Amino acid sequence: MRIPCPYCGERGNAEYAYLGDAGVSRPQTPLGAALEGATLDAWMNYVYLRDNPAGAHRELWYHASGCRAWLIVTRNVSTHEILNVEAANGAIRDGRVGAL
Amino acid sequence: MPDQALRQRAPLEALARPGRFGATSAAAGVMLSEIRDRGLASVAARKNQRAALLAAAKSAFGCGLPTRPRRAFGRDGLSFVWAGPDQWVAMLDHGPVGGIEPRLAASLKGLASVVDQSDGRAVVRIGGARARAALAKGMPIDLHERAFTPGDAALTFFSHINVHIWQVDETPTYEIAVPRSFVGSFWHWLTEASAEFGYEATGSNSSA
Repeated sequence: MRIPCPYCGERGNAEYAYLGDAGVSRPQTPLGAALEGATLDAWMNYVYLRDNPAGAHRELWYHASGCRAWLIVTRNVSTHEILNVEAANGAIRDGRVGAL
Repeated sequence: MPDQALRQRAPLEALARPGRFGATSAAAGVMLSEIRDRGLASVAARKNQRAALLAAAKSAFGCGLPTRPRRAFGRDGLSFVWAGPDQWVAMLDHGPVGGIEPRLAASLKGLASVVDQSDGRAVVRIGGARARAALAKGMPIDLHERAFTPGDAALTFFSHINVHIWQVDETPTYEIAVPRSFVGSFWHWLTEASAEFGYEATGSNSSA
């Protein structure tokens, strides 16, 4: 599998590290709030629960052996076709993905 | 009190034995040396200062900072290699010890973070007719002249060690910056990869 880095060009997946789903956002729990009810559910969802689609998936990759940029890669997990790649910092700044 | 002053040592001083090694049936296909008189510094743009930094660098150093993986040459032996988004490695040929950081910091104050890396990385020069074939054994990027030309740079790995490579001339000659603590392992791999082509090692090479 080869991923086109927006900064470095197309590189083999050996240069990258995989993090996972780019769609999850860290719950905005106030400091000291009790972890129960809806708050506990939100944290359970954030830490453990993931969709497992057989098709397009937005996910975070880190160009660890390259430019060290975080990328949001849209990948078909059935065929490994790369559908879209963008820099994660731009997407976080624009509010299109939650800060980690 | 120690009875002996600490002496500055180049990263490969104890490892890079000068001489001709490997296959001897033809002229050496690979030339290896270490560049020991070059100052290095990392330059990283401060938040929201990218445009101001590019403009300031252009007027202060006589060259723009490259915004894609390239090396640009400024005045008086100064050059800049792209090192990631909004990051560069500045290099000063024949740089005096500790000389590069103050030289950059004055012009880039408030626009970029400048940190001396001269002691943190080793710079190895690899050239010769078979240099490309030797590097291909450990590096996943295409160094063919159609894909990589003098002035081009890349961040990648060589035998699992993250490296920063740029091409110097069409011989081809490349320079590779390696984190200092990895350079022994890197050198071992590089010399083993070059042995079948025959290689000539010279300990030290001038940076210009």
